[in-house]
Amino acid sequence: MGPLAAVVYRESKIRSTNITFMFFDLFYPLLYLLMFGVGVNAALGSPALPSGTDYNSFFLAGVLGMASFGIATTSSWSFFLDRDNGIFFEMLTYPMRRSEYLLGKVLFNVCIGIVQAVITIALGCLLLRVHLQWRLLPLLGAIVIGGTAAWFFFYAIFALRIRRNDVFNSVVNVSYFVFLFVSSIFYPLGPLPHWFRASALANPITWEVDLFRYSSIGLGVPKQLVWEAMGFVIFALASFAYAVRSLREQG
Amino acid sequence: MREFALEVENLTKIYERRGHPPVRAVDGISFSVPRGEIFGLLGPNGAGKTTLLKVLTTLLRPTGGAARIENFDVVAKPFEVRKRISMVLQETAAELFLNVRDNLLTFARFHGLDSQTARLRAASVMEKFQIASYAEQKVQDLSGGSRRRVQVAKMFMVDTPVIFLDEFSTGMDPILKRAVMGYLREESAKGRTIVLTTQILSEAEELCDDILIMNHGKQVARGDLNALKLLSVGVYEISLTFAELPPGIAGDIAALKPLRSHVEGNSVEISLKVEEAKVLDVVNEISKKGRVLRVEVSGASLEDIFVELTKEK
Repeated sequence: MGPLAAVVYRESKIRSTNITFMFFDLFYPLLYLLMFGVGVNAALGSPALPSGTDYNSFFLAGVLGMASFGIATTSSWSFFLDRDNGIFFEMLTYPMRRSEYLLGKVLFNVCIGIVQAVITIALGCLLLRVHLQWRLLPLLGAIVIGGTAAWFFFYAIFALRIRRNDVFNSVVNVSYFVFLFVSSIFYPLGPLPHWFRASALANPITWEVDLFRYSSIGLGVPKQLVWEAMGFVIFALASFAYAVRSLREQG
Repeated sequence: MREFALEVENLTKIYERRGHPPVRAVDGISFSVPRGEIFGLLGPNGAGKTTLLKVLTTLLRPTGGAARIENFDVVAKPFEVRKRISMVLQETAAELFLNVRDNLLTFARFHGLDSQTARLRAASVMEKFQIASYAEQKVQDLSGGSRRRVQVAKMFMVDTPVIFLDEFSTGMDPILKRAVMGYLREESAKGRTIVLTTQILSEAEELCDDILIMNHGKQVARGDLNALKLLSVGVYEISLTFAELPPGIAGDIAALKPLRSHVEGNSVEISLKVEEAKVLDVVNEISKKGRVLRVEVSGASLEDIFVELTKEK
């Protein structure tokens, strides 16, 4: 068994020991869509959206973006658990490269991300009548994979560099709040004040969600999407490189 | 020609922190360990043993010098080094959310064992370490001592040529500790090289073929037990048991300026650096303090040597 498979085996073993957690992990984006999405759609409607787009369809991309973000924060926290258990440093003496350790972890997270996305999209389409652009499904799959990986690498940097659990929790909570609300997850950016829109456009989660939105319901400006895609790829690669470097500096 | 499992040349590790003076945790250490040997790294807290182990196991990059495990440089070929080592860290390291069996199986998978071999080995290792009865129990539900067993048991799941053990016996009961020491000797006889750090000197005395004593990151002494004892010529251990502990004996002993002393019940143990001709005079002086039931004088133990060599000048 190669190192990547061994890391995936370990992660799946740990995750499968808690079925409740596993269930929540897989279904929470769908639950968000069913509760928050349906609630906003029913109570507020969708006045700021292009005609023919309901809030549930709009919010599906936001939920997928939020899910990849959520997986990353949970997984990066697992670095702390491993460090507290002492197993982290022991694992670094196992026969694998630092990059393989990170890639193995991300591979498992991507698997979870794909299953989450399939459940969310399938039940979203069935229950909420979201009209998916099926021809763009491969692109949507690629964004699920790239998005989950990018956010994992990004949060791994903080988990590896910050030694104190309370400091890490503060960083995650603050960044979670800023990243999620200063973005296009919950609302379209058009009607927002200039400063808010500019901040949201500099947020990598906006780039990811806009790509999700285009690949799920075909909404978006192609020229802007190209820039956002390029920005997100650079963000992912830089995060990976810095995460590997941070892991190499452990000891 | 002897083949070495470990070769360390002028190894240095300096920790630098902004606003603090640099700390030379390992300071120009050199040694080599032949294959199949049990090698002990001894030293007081903060001597640099764990840092040295971290460099040898690729967890830390050295600041200077070189170290090779099975001829692979720890900096240039860390992956090759990791293929050849397994390590028990000082702190208990275990997969808390997995059960005992899965802890062993996961470890085996990382070391490339196939599923069937891993299962067979896990069964025999669990028997050996008396953890089979809680094979299906999650490690987070076990006591500290049992977790330590699981951690050390992992070393016997694989055949890596070099094993590093950092304070391996912490939390183990004496019977299991004795058994594990036996297993370690068996592994060494099979050709595996074992490098251990310990503060329990009797353990090193009993187990190690070769010992390196460190202090402040530097080598203080090196050799087998007999060679080390020669470094401590003139150190004697005097042990007396009184019918009744004489009053003021602690003060009398302190006046002798012993290397170490220990009073328990009616017994007194003293380590002294003294000329051979004067040992019996000292015994005679102390014996006058009360009725003596037993007297024993012996040469230096590893503990005496350790205290003598690592005491602050």
